[in-house]
Amino acid sequence: MNVAGSIRSRPAPLSDGKRRGYADGIGGGIASSSIDVDMYTDVPSFELSLDEFEEYALARLKVLRKIEEMKTRNLTPEMFRTQLDASIKANLTVTTANNSNPWESKQSSNSNTNMAEASKKLDVASHFILRAAYCRTEDLRRWFLTQECHLFRHRLESVAQTQTGSITDGGGGKKNNDALRNFLANNDFDLECVSRSEKEKLRDKLLSVPSGVNPMDFHNTEYYRVPFVQALELVAKRECYILGGYAYVPLSRIVSIVAAKFRATLSKSLALAAGVFGQVAHDEQARIGPLLKSMNSQYTGPGAPNAVLGADGQEVLTAATVDALAAQSMPLCMKQLHKGLQRDHKLKHMARLQYGLFLKGAGMSLEEHTLFFHKEFTRIMTSDQFNKEYSYSIRHMHGKEGKRGSYTPYNCMKIILGNPPNSGVEHHGCPYKHYDDANLSALLGQLKIGNASEREAIMAHKRDGNFQLACAKHFEVMHPAAASLEGVNLDGVGNHPNAWFSASVSYHNAKSRNGASMDVVKVEGAV
Amino acid sequence: MGAANDDNEEYEFGDDDTGARPTANDNDTKSTVVARSSSSSSTDSKKSTPADSSVVFSPELLGMYYSRLFPYQLLYSWLSYDPATAKPTNGTNTNKVATTSSSSTFPRREFSMTIEPTPGNEVYIRYQSFLSQDELTSAIIKRRPTKIDIGAVFNHPPKDNKSLPAGKLQTTERELVFDIDLTDYDSVRNCGCDGAKICHKCWKFMGMAIEVMDEGLRSDFAFEHVAWFYSGRRGVHCWVCDDTARKLSNEARSAVASYFEVNLGSEKNKNFHLSSPLHPMLVRAYKILEPNFVSCVLPEEGHGLLATRASWTKLLLTLPNAANPVAAKLEEKWSWSKDDTTPEEKWNELKSALMAFIGKGGNNHNAKQVKSLSNADRLRIEHWPLETVFKYTYPRLDINVSKMQNHLLKSPFCVHPKTGRVCVPIEVDKVDSFDPFKVPTLAQLMKELDEYEATNTDSSESVRYDWEKTSLKEPFECFQKKFLVPLLNEERRAQKEERERRAAIVGDF
Repeated sequence: MNVAGSIRSRPAPLSDGKRRGYADGIGGGIASSSIDVDMYTDVPSFELSLDEFEEYALARLKVLRKIEEMKTRNLTPEMFRTQLDASIKANLTVTTANNSNPWESKQSSNSNTNMAEASKKLDVASHFILRAAYCRTEDLRRWFLTQECHLFRHRLESVAQTQTGSITDGGGGKKNNDALRNFLANNDFDLECVSRSEKEKLRDKLLSVPSGVNPMDFHNTEYYRVPFVQALELVAKRECYILGGYAYVPLSRIVSIVAAKFRATLSKSLALAAGVFGQVAHDEQARIGPLLKSMNSQYTGPGAPNAVLGADGQEVLTAATVDALAAQSMPLCMKQLHKGLQRDHKLKHMARLQYGLFLKGAGMSLEEHTLFFHKEFTRIMTSDQFNKEYSYSIRHMHGKEGKRGSYTPYNCMKIILGNPPNSGVEHHGCPYKHYDDANLSALLGQLKIGNASEREAIMAHKRDGNFQLACAKHFEVMHPAAASLEGVNLDGVGNHPNAWFSASVSYHNAKSRNGASMDVVKVEGAV
Repeated sequence: MGAANDDNEEYEFGDDDTGARPTANDNDTKSTVVARSSSSSSTDSKKSTPADSSVVFSPELLGMYYSRLFPYQLLYSWLSYDPATAKPTNGTNTNKVATTSSSSTFPRREFSMTIEPTPGNEVYIRYQSFLSQDELTSAIIKRRPTKIDIGAVFNHPPKDNKSLPAGKLQTTERELVFDIDLTDYDSVRNCGCDGAKICHKCWKFMGMAIEVMDEGLRSDFAFEHVAWFYSGRRGVHCWVCDDTARKLSNEARSAVASYFEVNLGSEKNKNFHLSSPLHPMLVRAYKILEPNFVSCVLPEEGHGLLATRASWTKLLLTLPNAANPVAAKLEEKWSWSKDDTTPEEKWNELKSALMAFIGKGGNNHNAKQVKSLSNADRLRIEHWPLETVFKYTYPRLDINVSKMQNHLLKSPFCVHPKTGRVCVPIEVDKVDSFDPFKVPTLAQLMKELDEYEATNTDSSESVRYDWEKTSLKEPFECFQKKFLVPLLNEERRAQKEERERRAAIVGDF
């Protein structure tokens, strides 16, 4: 397999003093900064125990989740790199059991190679396991694709950056240049190299593009000519020269092109995998089928949970119960939307989407949804006006109008990264992100969330920019010892408002089942 | 229930399938939508030609336009991308060309229509599609839309959208389109126009935008089949129709649009700076724009940027602070009563003074002063002329229109209901002489028709389409010759190659 081959062909950089210094500097281990960039085009045939199968998948999942979490915060590129390297090192790097310190193991180049191979195996296997587990729905696919692309890009950049950093240290850079070129050759990147004469002719143009090419090095820089559709990122940022439908890209910028191709290939494979998943899961009913299926429900982070059912198995969220449930079980963003709706008797567009899709996701039917909004809206408008102007969009949300798409509820990232609300008029957004300290603090106090020190803990997360942690803390405060209750699934709390809601509802169900209905009574009293 | 048909039926407004409205409506003054210029709304438009030419638009006029002048054949032939449609069958009966579609894309093309079943009550109908030119023609004549939009080509005929499972209907291709609107130039229109208002002075911005975009699309992206249209009021639309352009993904469309987009700053954020070095595309744009800037923006008869003391003082104030000595010197010199330099000379003087100030260009006798400038200041001064030219003249794209395959854009050859003017093709080579105020209005067209028929009583006259009897002849024929014929030739070539390729595969020559 060419993957393993390319690993073995790279002992030189590992023993290169300069390179090790670099690796130390960014806090990553050797394995993470060496070139284990893989396009994952060949399906591997490893032998794995079922335990390993699950363990590997979980390891990668941790890294991907870390990426997702970091992307919601405003980290500097360096912080992102450092933290991601650390996560890769901790989860996707094999350090043999009797050699827990990776630096010690370097003494023997033999065990070093073994470790690199084991890491490679872990990396490739875990990728393909998750690919299978995450191919099932559009949402899962999108999530997996996004995080994998970040990871791939990060690794590829590690290669390319060592190379650009080479202007000062000559030789080492050259070597990496070769490594990148080998990678391209091994992965069928058939790039057309621009001839020397054409390059010289275009010199002025090529150099008036922000491409990181030093004019002094121009003579030795290789340029490639690719159809512009393969270099969209560079085209969009005007970071390449374009002529006659072709982008002219220096080797150092080829990362962008490779990453785009990786994305396209993976996206296609995921779609194909989705098509055959049913059959495979059926054939593998006894072994990995259930494992694959449970993988995502066991570690849901990304997906939207299903409709929330009450203790009696009926859908709980109706126009009649929504007031009580908003007070008892909704995360802060949805509570605020509910309050806004009750105050203004209408919601602006973004708010209708955020709240409406949340309600839909939590199991409110189209009829109940319409009934609920009708009840509020018609306090300031005629029934006719409501039917004319608002009921269409509710039906649209439920996939009954227009392109009849199946819209999924917004997750925290989407809400946090979305347009901030116009204060006073709009109620959408994430209170932890979009309210200032004073407002949020007042709100928490007003809602009597926990005691002063618990509220301060939430505020501390908010101030650090960890909005999702703040929200998870809110949950924790409101649902003491939730993890110990049977039937309460806490996955996704702090990642998805619907997960928060369903966890809270199941918490209260469990409580009342256990006879300790104090909380429920308290809440109902408050309503 | 037959969901697919319901959609088609529910918005129809009666059975008047000709352009003429029932007389009952004619007497109802409300039914006449009158353009803004019209003072007399009591129009006796019972006859085909309204005597009052100040009425540029009315449902009756529109009906007439659709039944006699609208170039169905051009639109159909273009959107079919099928050489077989290029030769219409003979027949003097204007638009009644009996073509059944052999095109594979036309029946899957989305059309949308804005209709006014009753005055002031607009209904927007999406997901219309037509099997043939005849179907398109009769639908337009029957519905008499105030606006027609063209969407993407889908994998199924979009009119079946309700009978298809959700999510099944997906776009497959679409021309790459651009929309440029003069409203986006409000902050630099010193001619007094704003919003939908335009004049000859600010229209020049559209000409410049077309030149820059057309050149960029052709030489950078190698697109050949680029068509430009007047949008009917205050802007222009561009349709790039090359096969490769039509098949671009949404990401690719966004990338191309962003490539051309320059963030020129806004009212709230005046910080607009070009990066250095200047991208070759922008260098070329500057070469195109600067002469236009000098001739159309600077002088009194343009936007008067360097025409009066007040205006040049204002312009000099936009110089970077580090260049204050230059501003002060020129301000003083130009204010001197005997100074009679033209705006153009002032611009050149200003540019060379700035270059000398930063030590570029010829006389380098104040080297000491040059040294005291920071690199950042020097760069800002060097870029100031470029940034100024761009701020006024660089194309301001509405890039959201370009980004998605399924974004609708007004169909060419429509009539703008507010101006009554036809969305005619614009010839890029003659963009300077394109005058939006000379674009025919509906009223004018009806007059031309009547006049033609009065002077050419010989009915055996060989005019295939009624539009040839009006001033639409020139722009329409030009569209046909310069755009449609090359486009269809290309398609023919591609079809032939494809046939040969297939034949080679099966060994059947």
